[in-house]
Amino acid sequence: MRLLFINHLQNAAESLRSNRMRTALTMLGVTIGVASITLILSLSGGATKVITDQVEELGGNIAVVRPGGKSPAVQIDNITSPVHQAYATSSLTEQDVKAIQKAPDVQAVAPLMLVSGSVKADNNQPKNASIVATTPDLVNITNMDMRDGQFIDSVTNRDTAVIGAQLSIDLFGTEQSIGQTFQARGQSFTVIGVLKRINHPINYNNIDFDHAAIISMESGKNFNQGIAQIQQINVKATSPDKLPGVLGSLNTTLNETHKNEADFSVLSGDELSRPSSELFYAIAATMTAVAAISLIVGGIGIMNIMLVSVAERTREIGIRKALGASNGHITAQFLIESLAMSIGGGIAGYAVGYLLAYVVSRTLLTFDPLFNWQIAVVALGVSILVGTLFGLYPAHRAARKDPIEALRQYH
Amino acid sequence: METEQTPPVIVLRGLTKRYGVGDAEHTVLDNLDLTIEKGEFIAIMGPSGCGKTTLLNILGLLDRSTDGDYFLNDRSVESLSARRHAHIRSNQVGFVFQNFNLVPRMNVIENVALPLTYKGIRKTKRLQQASKMLSTFHLSEREYYMPWQLSGGQTQRVAIARALVNDPSIVLADEPTGNLDSKASHVIMEELSDIHKRGNTIIMVTHNPDLTTYASRVIRMIDGRVDSDTKVPRPAKTTDASKRPLGSAKTDDKPTKKKAKRATKRKPAKKGSSK
Repeated sequence: MRLLFINHLQNAAESLRSNRMRTALTMLGVTIGVASITLILSLSGGATKVITDQVEELGGNIAVVRPGGKSPAVQIDNITSPVHQAYATSSLTEQDVKAIQKAPDVQAVAPLMLVSGSVKADNNQPKNASIVATTPDLVNITNMDMRDGQFIDSVTNRDTAVIGAQLSIDLFGTEQSIGQTFQARGQSFTVIGVLKRINHPINYNNIDFDHAAIISMESGKNFNQGIAQIQQINVKATSPDKLPGVLGSLNTTLNETHKNEADFSVLSGDELSRPSSELFYAIAATMTAVAAISLIVGGIGIMNIMLVSVAERTREIGIRKALGASNGHITAQFLIESLAMSIGGGIAGYAVGYLLAYVVSRTLLTFDPLFNWQIAVVALGVSILVGTLFGLYPAHRAARKDPIEALRQYH
Repeated sequence: METEQTPPVIVLRGLTKRYGVGDAEHTVLDNLDLTIEKGEFIAIMGPSGCGKTTLLNILGLLDRSTDGDYFLNDRSVESLSARRHAHIRSNQVGFVFQNFNLVPRMNVIENVALPLTYKGIRKTKRLQQASKMLSTFHLSEREYYMPWQLSGGQTQRVAIARALVNDPSIVLADEPTGNLDSKASHVIMEELSDIHKRGNTIIMVTHNPDLTTYASRVIRMIDGRVDSDTKVPRPAKTTDASKRPLGSAKTDDKPTKKKAKRATKRKPAKKGSSK
C-alpha cells in the first residue's frame, strides 16, 4: 500500500507537470485563500501577542472592568466583531469607581472616559487625536513615563492636560510643548506634561496614548453635563497573587451596585488581549471574506479541472482497470492529484501570506506578525480539507467508470 | 498433451448477457456453455455483433453476465467483490487490445510496467521486469520511446509485453492483429504462439481465418451461441519448444513460418471488419 502511495504521488506529479499552466492557475485559488488565512492569523496573533506582552510586562496584577456582558473568547469572533465601545451609553458610573476603591487589596483604580471632540491649536487639528479623562492613578497602573513635566494629579488645575508625544508634534510641531495651550470643544487647556513615546497603538486601554490628550475627570465630566461616561476602569491589585481575590470582590461589589444586572465584565490576563484597532478590523474582516470566497472558488476550480482530467483520461482509466486497478486505486490516484494541487497551493499561500503580513505590518501596523506552528497547521489543514472535499467527487466518478465504456472511447 | 490432467481453467455454464430493457432488450450471449482447459490456444471467430468481445470482457472480469455461471479455476466469480475481480485481473489475466491501448503520456517501459504497479511492486523492480519483458520482444532499444513514436507492429508488441509482464495464466486478446498488415500480423501471431508454448492459456478473438492456424482450438460463434468447436492437432514440435526461453523459440518453428508466407501472399481482407 505504501509503495502504491508513492506510485500515486509520482503519477500525480507527472500528470500535473504535463499541464503546468492549468495546474498553476488551479492552485492559485487555494493560494489566495490560504494566503488570506495566514495573513489574518499571523497579524491577529501578532496583535494579541503585543497586548499579552504588555499585560505580562505590567506584572500580571491588572484587572479591567468594561461595560457590557462578557463575550466568548473565540479568536475569530473577536477579530471580526469589533468591541462596541464609543457609541453605547456606558453602564459604568463614578459610583462603581468609588465602590471598587473600597474593595480589599486594590492598590489603584483609574477610570477612563473618552470625550468626543477634536483637539486644535492655532490651525492644527490632528484627525486621530482622542481626549481621555481619567484620574491621577492611571500613571501607576499603565506604564507611562513622562518625557517632560508632570502627570495630572489632585492639585493640578482643571484646565491642564498631559498630551502624547505624537499629539504634541501634530499640534505644536515639537515634543517640547509645556506651557502651550490647545482647544478642545471650545475650552482651553494648558499642557503641563508630555508623555514619552510609547508606540503601542494597540493596547488593552483601546487608546493610543501617543495621540491622546489626558485631562482630569472633572474636566471630562464638564463636557458631559457633569456625568461621567466611563468606558473602562483599570484596577491594580496590590500583588499578582492577590488578583484572583480582587477579581472576585470586583464581581460581587459591582453586582451590588448594578443590582445584579450583568451589564459589566471584569477581565484579566489573556481576556485583555483583544486587538481593537479599526484598521486591523477592516483588514481582518475583508481578508476573512476573501479567504472564505477564494477557498470555495479555489475548491470549485480544483473540482472543475479534476473533472476535465477525468474526462480526458477516461480511456486511461479503462486501461488501468483492465490491467488490474481496483476502484480504490483509481479513487486514490485522482484524489492524490487533487490533494497535490491543493496542498501545493496551500504551501505557496502560506509563504505569500507571510510575505503580505510583513509588508502590511511594516507599512501600516506597528507590530510584527506572529510565527507559530498552529498557523502552519491551520494552513495545511485547510488545504487538505479543500483538496479532499472538492477532489472526492471527481475521483469517485473516475472510479465508477465502466471499464468497457471507458475503453471503447477514443481519444 | 500435458494439459489434459489438470482441471479446466474456465467453465461457462448457461452464460447469458443481455443489454437494455423491454422492447430494447438485446441478447448478446445466449445460454453459452464453454470449457477451456489449461494451455489451450483458442481462436474465437464469428461475424460482428455475435458477442465475441462481450464474451472476452466477461472472461476478463471487466463485465458481468446477466445469467449463468462462470467458474474461474473452479471458483464462481459471481460471488466475488469488485476488488477481488481487480485482484484477479491484476494477477491472472493479461489483456491485449485491438487498438493497443497504451497510455499515451507514458513511455514504453512505463506502459509495460503499469500492471505491476497494482501488484505493489517497487518501481525499480517494476522497471527491471518490464525491461526484461521488452527484451524478449526485441524492443530493448525502444524502452524510452513514447507510444506515438512506434510503428503499429511495435506498438502491438509493447501491448503484448504489457499483457504478459504480470505473468498471467490467461491471456485475452481482442483482435490483436486488427489494424496491422499481414506481415506485422504474423509477427504478432508468432509472439502469441510462443507465449502459448510456455504454457499460457490464450483466448483470442479474430476475424482473420488465416490466424486460426496458430490456434489449438477454433470456436465459431453466431448470435451469442457456439456454432462450431474444432480442436486442431498441434504440430509435433510444439512440446520441445515449450521448454525453451521465449526469444529463441521463435525462429526455428518451420511449419509456422510456412504458413506465414502463404498468408502474406493471399492478403486477407480483414481491415475495417472489426467492431
